[in-house]
Amino acid sequence: MELESILDIACTRAGLEAASKKRALEQASELLAEHYCELDAGQLLEALVGRERLGSTAVGEGVALPHCRFAACTKPVAALLRLAEPVDFEASDRRPVDLIFVLVVPAEANDLHLQILATAATALNDASYRHALREADTDADLYAAAIRSPEVRRAAGHP
Amino acid sequence: MKIIILGGGKVGGTLAENLSSEKFDITLVDSDPVQLHQLRERLDIQTVEGHASHPDVLRRAGAEDADILVAVTSSDEVNMVACQVSFSMFRTPTKIARIRANAYSTRSGFFSREHMPIDVLIHPEQVVTEHIDRLLQHPGALQVLDFAQGRMQLVAVKVYPHGPLAGKAISALRQQLPKVDTRVAAIFRRDRPIMPQGNTVLEVDDEVFFLAARRDIGPVMSEMRGREKPYKRIMIAGGGNIGERLAGTLERRLHVKLIEFDPARCQVLSGSLDRTVVLNGDATDSELLLEENIENTDIFCALTNDDEANIMSSMLAKQLGARKVLTLINKPAYVDLVQGGQIDVAISPQQATISELLVHVRKADIARIHSLRRGAAEAIEAVAHGDSRSSKMVGRTLDEITLPMGTTVGGIVRGEEVLIAHDHLVVEPDDHLIMFVTDKRRIPEIERLFQVSVHFF
Repeated sequence: MELESILDIACTRAGLEAASKKRALEQASELLAEHYCELDAGQLLEALVGRERLGSTAVGEGVALPHCRFAACTKPVAALLRLAEPVDFEASDRRPVDLIFVLVVPAEANDLHLQILATAATALNDASYRHALREADTDADLYAAAIRSPEVRRAAGHP
Repeated sequence: MKIIILGGGKVGGTLAENLSSEKFDITLVDSDPVQLHQLRERLDIQTVEGHASHPDVLRRAGAEDADILVAVTSSDEVNMVACQVSFSMFRTPTKIARIRANAYSTRSGFFSREHMPIDVLIHPEQVVTEHIDRLLQHPGALQVLDFAQGRMQLVAVKVYPHGPLAGKAISALRQQLPKVDTRVAAIFRRDRPIMPQGNTVLEVDDEVFFLAARRDIGPVMSEMRGREKPYKRIMIAGGGNIGERLAGTLERRLHVKLIEFDPARCQVLSGSLDRTVVLNGDATDSELLLEENIENTDIFCALTNDDEANIMSSMLAKQLGARKVLTLINKPAYVDLVQGGQIDVAISPQQATISELLVHVRKADIARIHSLRRGAAEAIEAVAHGDSRSSKMVGRTLDEITLPMGTTVGGIVRGEEVLIAHDHLVVEPDDHLIMFVTDKRRIPEIERLFQVSVHFF
């Protein structure tokens, strides 16, 4: 997956203050709605919360991948948040979450969407990738760390 | 999960009590400091004193982080404005409000994000009216519960000494009704739930819960209870919101008499009701009951908002010859006290409201939770989403699914189709499963079973 094609630096936030899962999803919705004018923040939040209700998207190790289909959405778009303080996300390992990768895709089912989600989950399953994201202080650093896939980072000599 | 409850009255207080025993973060808002003090003494919750719909009060209660707002103050208008404020200022995802006045529910589409942003309306009077109406359609039933918009029903009947059920094994019932698919879902014997097996023999005074498609309930009932005559003549005591609604619902089908104490209210009722005979008087006056032929009444329903008056008038009506009596009771402790004695059916509006509310805090797509026998067991309707990869249910046969202890699947509603559970039945996406749990502490395990994995879109 080319993360650059779905994640914009404007939708990346390092050290975001959010005291709850709801606030984190709300701010992600606002970020996406500001950058992609076809999205409405309120409706996007409702869609993300509706998906969470069917089962938490937290995958353990402080990571969550909230996602939803959205009628007004024309192409897959993402937001990446690193919270200043982790929040409860009803994860099965009970660990609070600070790395949140939000994915919004068009309403029609598509194998590509599942692939993007699976790729993001695999990347975030890598301890060194998570470490790099947590070390990033600025939005720009976080974005740079995020778009370097594990392969790229290994080739560049990172651990 | 953070929940804000507005209003610390009967419903708000009981809801907070139900939720605080689980791991919820509860803040209760009320304008009465004494009320709040009492709740804080008793329960592990936070409280905020103030006007429930004011933005600054909601903010202090933590509205920015709340997942659910439950507005159950005594004022419809405060409840509505509080939901509007939470929506506009805090984007609260789930807003639930109790709205009593019928006047607000006349235009469909009013309660939507464009107009009055309330996601779930709780209408206790309507819930109770529908509940009584279902009972009246099945004479002899102690409880009639709807699942999947009424496509499947659960009915409770009692085993009588010389009735057709006493001394029979459950497997024999199936032979008596070869054309009807039904399932005995639960049996209560001396107030304890027992798991029904094919060879379980029914005893006198057992309460039997059976599940069937709505169209099959009639034949099953008549087999189980013997032919009980339908109700024709009903007498209602109390012309409040519930009495008026019930009379209005029934007056085209049955002969309805309604007794109301307040003459001015009687005037209003005579105007709003068409065929109902409205009587001004006291329902605990035996002369009035006799004058109005209580001995020929099929069912007497005491529906005032005074528990004691309801109990007394019901007992009197029964003694004077009413065939069945049904009593509305608010205090949960009274419900257990009176039902089964002279009072045939006791209904708690509060319990009905609370179980409607509790559905929305569950962490899976749970459509209904009904308490059976005031919480001795629960009947749950949950929706299975996803596919064999993202769901623990979909694509598996019922006997491949490991259910929590004391849990059984009674049936599945698939679109319009109603299926009684059998081991080889395969769960399909969007199936509604109807289950029974004898221990409600197991409900979180059921939630986990129905939760989809991260791969589900």
